[in-house]
Amino acid sequence: MPRTPNPSSDASRLAVETRDLGRVYKTRNETVTALSSVDLKVREGELFGVLGPNGAGKTTLIKILVTLLLPSSGTAKVDGLDVVREFRQLRSRIAIVSGGENAGYGLLRVREQLWMFSQFYGIKSKVAYARIDELLERLGLASVANRQISGLSSGMRQKMNLVRGLMTDPRVLFLDEPTVALDVGAARDLREEVSRWMAEDPTRTVILTTHYMQEADDLCDRIAIVNRGRIVIEGTPQSLKLEVQRDVVVDLQLEPGVPVLDRLREVAGVGAASVREEDGLDRFSLLLADDAVLTNVISAVERSGRRVAGLAKREPTLEDAFVKLVGRSMTEEETQ
Amino acid sequence: MVLALARTWSGYRTAVRLGWLVSSNWTSPVPFVIYTIIRPISGALILVVMYNVITGGRGNTRNYLAFLVIGVSFWAFVTEGVSDFAVGILEDRGRFKMLKYAYLAPLRFPVFLVGRASSKLTSAVASVAIVLVVATVGLRLPINPLSVDYPLLAIACLLAFISVMAFSIALSVVLLAGRDAYGYGEIMAQVLYIVSGAIFPISVLPGPLAFFASLSPLVYWLELTRRSILHGRVYEMFPGLSDGEVLTRLALATAGTVLLGYLVYRWADRQARWKGYIDMDAAQ
Ligand SMILES: Nc1ncnc2c1ncn2[C@@H]1O[C@H](COP(=O)(O)OP(=O)(O)O)[C@@H](O)[C@H]1O
Ligand SMILES: [Mg+2]
Repeated sequence: MPRTPNPSSDASRLAVETRDLGRVYKTRNETVTALSSVDLKVREGELFGVLGPNGAGKTTLIKILVTLLLPSSGTAKVDGLDVVREFRQLRSRIAIVSGGENAGYGLLRVREQLWMFSQFYGIKSKVAYARIDELLERLGLASVANRQISGLSSGMRQKMNLVRGLMTDPRVLFLDEPTVALDVGAARDLREEVSRWMAEDPTRTVILTTHYMQEADDLCDRIAIVNRGRIVIEGTPQSLKLEVQRDVVVDLQLEPGVPVLDRLREVAGVGAASVREEDGLDRFSLLLADDAVLTNVISAVERSGRRVAGLAKREPTLEDAFVKLVGRSMTEEETQ
Repeated sequence: MVLALARTWSGYRTAVRLGWLVSSNWTSPVPFVIYTIIRPISGALILVVMYNVITGGRGNTRNYLAFLVIGVSFWAFVTEGVSDFAVGILEDRGRFKMLKYAYLAPLRFPVFLVGRASSKLTSAVASVAIVLVVATVGLRLPINPLSVDYPLLAIACLLAFISVMAFSIALSVVLLAGRDAYGYGEIMAQVLYIVSGAIFPISVLPGPLAFFASLSPLVYWLELTRRSILHGRVYEMFPGLSDGEVLTRLALATAGTVLLGYLVYRWADRQARWKGYIDMDAAQ
């Protein structure tokens, strides 16, 4: 369920503002432009998504915003503070939770580690324990509070990691692919807790990166799609879907054979095409300017000698918008 | 102000405790005994045998043994404070993935590091005491606990702690500014071992190295530990200097180390942030 933006939040206050932000990594043998000319405005109270494939620059952006990395050009402010010059004041107002890392000291107990980190924020022990216990309860971790971290599943560890992010009551919370590699249930619990936490206080802000379309669609008020270090488009999930609303979306299944993706992309009237393999079939998603284009698509397939196993029209999704805007699907790079 | 100090103090205490809990080697007693007792003592004995061979048995073995045992036992402060400490910080980054969360907390990062180093130095005290007792009894060294100059020993050790911390904290952040940094802490501790008068007087080093060694606070610290424990019954590295003069040199060298450590820290911290390596190591 997309949240309705809270009317009581002061929409004119910006939680994040970047101007012409850029970052180039120079290593011994290469120069990578991870971010370029990023202009971003996130209002206080928003749950803002940064959506993009692996290597798009999402983590780089987050690291700059949380003061873990210096930008090579441009400026960025979080909660009104400059991330380079005012990083000390800023650090007490933000928190970050990264996914896919299995973070934690295996020898410590869950509640003990959380308490220790609360002490690095100067929170009174009594207050800290009350918050920790409440959050552990909410995330279903109360029963493992005194267990060693090494004994937790990765889903539980990531929930504990989220508790660490929430317990300091940050003004802006950064979540860098928080549900990556988690099972469906744990991912759902985490998302639910993030929504609940946002609903509790309309001035809280979350910046979430993800490469899961559905996560961005379900959770975020607004989304920026990033690709190769640039923001391709920005808007609500609904407005992004409008990008493809006038297109005809077709799912085409082919039996295995010679590659045809590039050939399909060349057919006049095909706005975008992507493919994934499932159950031994190649499943193509095609965006067509109108129904008539389908005839040309089918003859292109026939010329290639491949056999059609199925064909269906469907409603456009955020994924289709992504493919149209970026020119490839989110997972294409991984499967190639 | 008072509140800020109270917060810093509680953050510091927590960092000490974290250090104790996450890398306490006494959870497994056998490696602990080997590492902290047998290794230094057997190391000292090997050196004595070599000394006998080189001097053809004409040297004063017992005196050299006493010189060595003090150097070797107190060296635990440096191995734990420099090498083990650096490994701990690198593990926070690479293995536990928690370093960035400590780094980004409002507690000043150097305070966190001082806390972690303190936990190493306090656990080193145990190792020093055990090695000294075992060596005194087992090798019948001329050490009488009743005639030790404890005030001199304490102030020398305090200054040495400060130096070791300044050095190792700067070193650890230099290592964080690289992606593949394991092993360098150990190498640094070994280099210091050679040039700090732990196993032989620095006067036997080649000229430039001896000069470099004479700037190190560790040399004066070891000299003072030997003087306070053995009262001139062993070789002195600086027979021309009074206790007070050696102490002054230790204080000056400590001040220099702290200043240098501060400058290196600032530079390396910025490097690490520039490269984005606070949360990234070579495995990523
Ligand atoms: N510290 C670094 N040094 C050099 N290159 C880096 C560093 N961090 C990221 N990169 C490179 O920058 C690009 C963007 O990476 P990243 O921001 O991690 O993308 P994402 O989080 O969207 O997957 C990638 O090509 C990555 O290899
Ligand atoms: Mg990333």
